[in-house]
Amino acid sequence: MPTNKLLMSLKDVSLQKISFQACLNNLGPFSIDIRSNERIAILGPSGAGKSTLLQIMTGLHQHTGQLEFLEKPIGQWGVQELAYKRAFLPQQHEAAFNLSTKLIISLGRVVRDHDPDLIQIVKASSRAARAEHLLNRSYQSLSGGEKARVHLARIFAQLWDQENGIVLIDEPLTALDPGLQIDLLASILEFCQHRSHTLVAILHDIQQAIDHFERLILIKDGKIVADLPSVPSPKAELEHLYGMTLESIPRPGRKDLLLPSSSGCSHII
Amino acid sequence: MHQNTPLKGYSKFMSHQTTWMYVIALIVLITMALMAVMLGPVEINYLNRTSAQDDFVENYILWQVRLPRILFAMTIGASLGLAGALTQGLFRNPLADPGLLGVSSGAAAAATGAIVFSGHLAWVLPESLRIWILPSAAFCGALGICFLLDRLAKWLTPGSVIGLLLTGIAINALVAAFIGLSTYLANDEQLRNLSFWTMGSLAGANWLVLVLMIFVLLIAFFFSQTLTVQINALSLGEAVAGQLGINLKQLRQRIILMVAFLSACAVAWCGMIGFISLIAPHIARAIVGPDHRQVLPLSMLFGGLLLLLADTLARTVAIPAEIPVGIFTALLGAPFFLSLLARQGKALT
Repeated sequence: MPTNKLLMSLKDVSLQKISFQACLNNLGPFSIDIRSNERIAILGPSGAGKSTLLQIMTGLHQHTGQLEFLEKPIGQWGVQELAYKRAFLPQQHEAAFNLSTKLIISLGRVVRDHDPDLIQIVKASSRAARAEHLLNRSYQSLSGGEKARVHLARIFAQLWDQENGIVLIDEPLTALDPGLQIDLLASILEFCQHRSHTLVAILHDIQQAIDHFERLILIKDGKIVADLPSVPSPKAELEHLYGMTLESIPRPGRKDLLLPSSSGCSHII
Repeated sequence: MHQNTPLKGYSKFMSHQTTWMYVIALIVLITMALMAVMLGPVEINYLNRTSAQDDFVENYILWQVRLPRILFAMTIGASLGLAGALTQGLFRNPLADPGLLGVSSGAAAAATGAIVFSGHLAWVLPESLRIWILPSAAFCGALGICFLLDRLAKWLTPGSVIGLLLTGIAINALVAAFIGLSTYLANDEQLRNLSFWTMGSLAGANWLVLVLMIFVLLIAFFFSQTLTVQINALSLGEAVAGQLGINLKQLRQRIILMVAFLSACAVAWCGMIGFISLIAPHIARAIVGPDHRQVLPLSMLFGGLLLLLADTLARTVAIPAEIPVGIFTALLGAPFFLSLLARQGKALT
């Protein structure tokens, strides 16, 4: 969508120093333009560098190349300004000291000194993340899927009353039941759409990415191998990405269903 | 169902339950202080005075010896409690403690060095400044160790609890070597001063030092109150806290400065008193939960309470002799630490 405002742009961005983890050594360079109101799914095999790419977008790592947010280098933004515009949900959730769920969600709004609607927003965002019943629980008593929902609620709370921001999410749905996955993905999409937030999500499920995201970024061995719209169905690119054959099943009125085909896996057995 | 329940934990106001905890802790503290005033080699019974003859002696002991010491014990205890709560918040780890991590011994080593190697400095400086030699040396030592620890643990073993504690052990060993060297080079008089550092004692209490320490504690307390919400955010991990708009570098530096300042003052005037800073925040957390807005003040209260208890025991168990207070805090703290390890066993591996 070229009409939309440029939100974030990466030009030849790669990690600056060689990290201790050897797998990060040959990463990038990445060049991506992200516009407002886009919905982008990042796909790729495990260890391809998806999470690192997302972390680079959060400014977490030292990087080379140009990383700009709203046409201003990210280093020139104050962390507090950015907190009003950008929310990040990492893959691993940690919370020392067994904080209460309510407190964790309210921490999404920690940057605001005066926040009269805090209680309302915490309630509303926990409702949106299907975590309302968890509000009075302590964090360590939660299961993995429940923790994921609490942190999703924290992201919602952070950008609840903002517009035109960006939401970066790293595999939010992995620890959830199938029904809840669909439910929560719908909730995330609705949250972003209502507020014109851009959504960048790392996903494992090909079908969810094709169905609900209009742009796919495919990553393999630390490089972007394709950056393409989700229609027409990117069957060949995905087959190449994961090194398997996919079967395309047409569905009336909806996008084609892509399923891993059994013939592609036969050599394993 | 949730509509009417007060959302304590993140509301700006304290719940009634928490307020009551403060009130109860304060009452216990004051009662203990009043009892501690009476106990000692000379019994002071201020409820029914008998003869005017004893009044003078009693008054002197009460006002110049016992009262400053009791208040000093509470102030130092509160400082240690606050330093402990801040350290645990900074390292996001309930096992962190300025003593275990080597911060206190760093301060002690610098103070030891100051005693042994700057013997002539004391003559040059005017008397009013001499009281600050040890604290400032201790402060430099504590600050150095804090920054070293922060960097080293992050560089060698990022994110590991065991890594942090092991780094603390290594630093403790290094610092112990320096203290050992200083002891070896010290003369008799210096040696007597040095033995004070290894055990810790509140016998040096007087009104001047007490007022200074209260001043230090108040500054640290009000400053720390501005950081509590940020420390809460820090417990979600550095990556997340940064995204929430926390200036991590600044927050780290401020906490480190405060921890170094508090530990240094405590060490400079009372020597090394272990475990108070480990236990007090744990008790606070067990009572009011993990929210640092409540943990910090309550850690101070319990720190004061614990050290008052330990010091009163130290003064009164073997009258007229006095047992170093460090022995009692260690007797209290070591089993406590072991029980913590037992509970945390799984999380550590």
